[in-house]
Amino acid sequence: MSRLNRDTIIALLLMVTWIVFLWASFDIRQIDYGTMGAEVWPRGIVILLIVLTAIYLFQGLRAGADEAPDEPFTIKGWFTKYRNPLWCYALYFLFLLSLPVFGMLIGGILLVFCLLTVLGGHTPRDLAIHAAIALISITGMWAIFTFALGVILPQGMIFTTL
Amino acid sequence: MIIENIILAAQELATFKTLLLMSVGTIAGLIAGAIPGFTIAMAVVLTLPFTFGMPPAQGLATMIGVFVGGLSGGLMSGILIGIPGTPSSVATTFDGFPMARKGKPGLALGLGVWASFFGGTISAVLLVTLAPQLARIGLEFQPWDYFALIIFALTIAASLAGANLIKGLIAAALGLLIATIGEDSVNGIARFNFGSDSLKQGFDFLPVLIGLFAFSQLLSDIQDRVRARDKLTETSGVNARIEHRKAAVMVLKSWVNLVRSALIGVFTGILPAAGSTISNILAYDQAKKASKNPQEFGTGCADGIIAPESANNATAGGALITMMALGIPGDIVTAVMLGALLIHDVIPSPSFINDSPVLAYAIFIAFFVANFLMLFLQSGALKLFVLITKVRMYVLASIILAYCGIGIFALNNVAFDMWTLFWFGILGYVMRNLGFPLAPMILGVVLGRIAELWLSRATAITTDITPFFTHPWSLFFIILALFSMFFSSYQTQRGRKAWTIFYTPALIAFLSIPMFMMVGTVRPMLGGVLLVIAVIMVFRSYKRGWKVDPTDADDHRLTEG
Repeated sequence: MSRLNRDTIIALLLMVTWIVFLWASFDIRQIDYGTMGAEVWPRGIVILLIVLTAIYLFQGLRAGADEAPDEPFTIKGWFTKYRNPLWCYALYFLFLLSLPVFGMLIGGILLVFCLLTVLGGHTPRDLAIHAAIALISITGMWAIFTFALGVILPQGMIFTTL
Repeated sequence: MIIENIILAAQELATFKTLLLMSVGTIAGLIAGAIPGFTIAMAVVLTLPFTFGMPPAQGLATMIGVFVGGLSGGLMSGILIGIPGTPSSVATTFDGFPMARKGKPGLALGLGVWASFFGGTISAVLLVTLAPQLARIGLEFQPWDYFALIIFALTIAASLAGANLIKGLIAAALGLLIATIGEDSVNGIARFNFGSDSLKQGFDFLPVLIGLFAFSQLLSDIQDRVRARDKLTETSGVNARIEHRKAAVMVLKSWVNLVRSALIGVFTGILPAAGSTISNILAYDQAKKASKNPQEFGTGCADGIIAPESANNATAGGALITMMALGIPGDIVTAVMLGALLIHDVIPSPSFINDSPVLAYAIFIAFFVANFLMLFLQSGALKLFVLITKVRMYVLASIILAYCGIGIFALNNVAFDMWTLFWFGILGYVMRNLGFPLAPMILGVVLGRIAELWLSRATAITTDITPFFTHPWSLFFIILALFSMFFSSYQTQRGRKAWTIFYTPALIAFLSIPMFMMVGTVRPMLGGVLLVIAVIMVFRSYKRGWKVDPTDADDHRLTEG
């Protein structure tokens, strides 16, 4: 285990992924017409990926263990480091989930407001500024896409009920 | 016929709306290029959703405006604050910032702007003249040649993308794998859909591209909590007025450097996957080597600003040549443009200029016009840049994240594309953090289906693989692909290891083989010339006692991130 480093772990995870894809390539329907079956190209790529990942794994094993980090790894430290991206992904995920309910306009305003607040702070002044930015930016974009570009954006249940 | 096409193309572009959109695009590009952390590719990617509803010529003209503006925008922050706005302006900072600190920011900006303009104009001329010629060569290509060309594009992208070639190759192959998900374009058979009906349709390449590139870039920009709340750049006290007249005269006086750098830019752009990130450094190095006073470089030398700025703008023309003549994107920006063309059912290929001459000439004209717009709008953009830099990063990132979703929905009016954006945003961010380059992966996604199509056509003709080695162009690209895989090691070990002495002569000598195999007299003669060059290079090394030149090791490492 002492020889494991980050690259080795990534290579192992990638290898498992490619094996799943290789397995799935056998589910591709075979055809009895044409000279190149639909499975040939993707299976060739997966095999190439397996070969490349094997080399990557070898490189990782040869490099030895990673240097000890300045601070020991903790779950809390990891969450602190990646706090902003994690918030963004979580809020974006909620935005997409709630799209049928809130629609693009209300959902977009809420998304931007929440993003601004978690990333930029939540003093009363910040909240007021963030609300204004969210309202103006998303309404502006929504108007451009709806009226100028003729795109029918999702209205959402709330908007249609109103 | 050509004049008729030019007139028709000019008529398409010469509308108030198109010129206004191009101007807005150029200003947006100038600003985006000037903001450190925002790349030109990201600006072009974000422009794309606005162009869905436009006619192809208008949409592409707007994107070309952003592209050209972005290439020149990087010089503003590079010169004024010492931080290049884009990787294309890294070398501009070497002399631009010292000149600005010596009290000549207006002259430094002027030199950059005029060098950009002339570099762009030279490449526009080459674009108009070279693209149809290259397309004629492209018409000779058969399926084996095309497939080999795509493989070369992917290997060179992987090689130039970072220090670890294997990671680059894995990224490129992963891009190809992503492109296989869904129904295959040849037989309509579902692949890797894992029982999902949504996955049966496959991923539209634009949500994948925006997710991988823009979404992940934004999250990287705001990862640091403190930096996310900072203003985009500290530009307090910046009050420069561009010295146009003096700078234009100085640039024209340095015409040899200007033209050489522009040519370096164009030919770097023509190479698949090599772009302005490389060309600006290459041109700077060449200008320094050719200068009578190389010691002045790095202290605020005019030639040190002219060379990189001429080269980076000229690269755009080169990248467009490859895209229009061969249908192969030269970099991420042209990959996006290729996507824009596909949305409008225009498939770039060697016959593109003949099949869609009005659109092709509209692209040529738009590239010319964009360079003029960049020249006229730079002063105004400078004032806007100072204003925009007061915005905080997290504000811009939050708005753009929402905009990405709205823009992607507009593509097909399906929410699945937004989910694609989201998942690929995560994948892109993870890959960035693990050191996997994204450029080869994006090229893999763009070129995957095309590669499969050509391979399928090749196997439909014969299942024998020898045509890959007996067709001159196919062999030519296979040789390039093989050598490009060692380019990363060559760069690292150049000037230190003996084998690097033989890399370039061996490449040239091997490339002469397919040239000898080609029909006619000119190409075999060129093959002969290549062989003679290779022999001379080996002979010179022999005369030096097979010793490596340690000064080579000091050169900048070329990477196209």
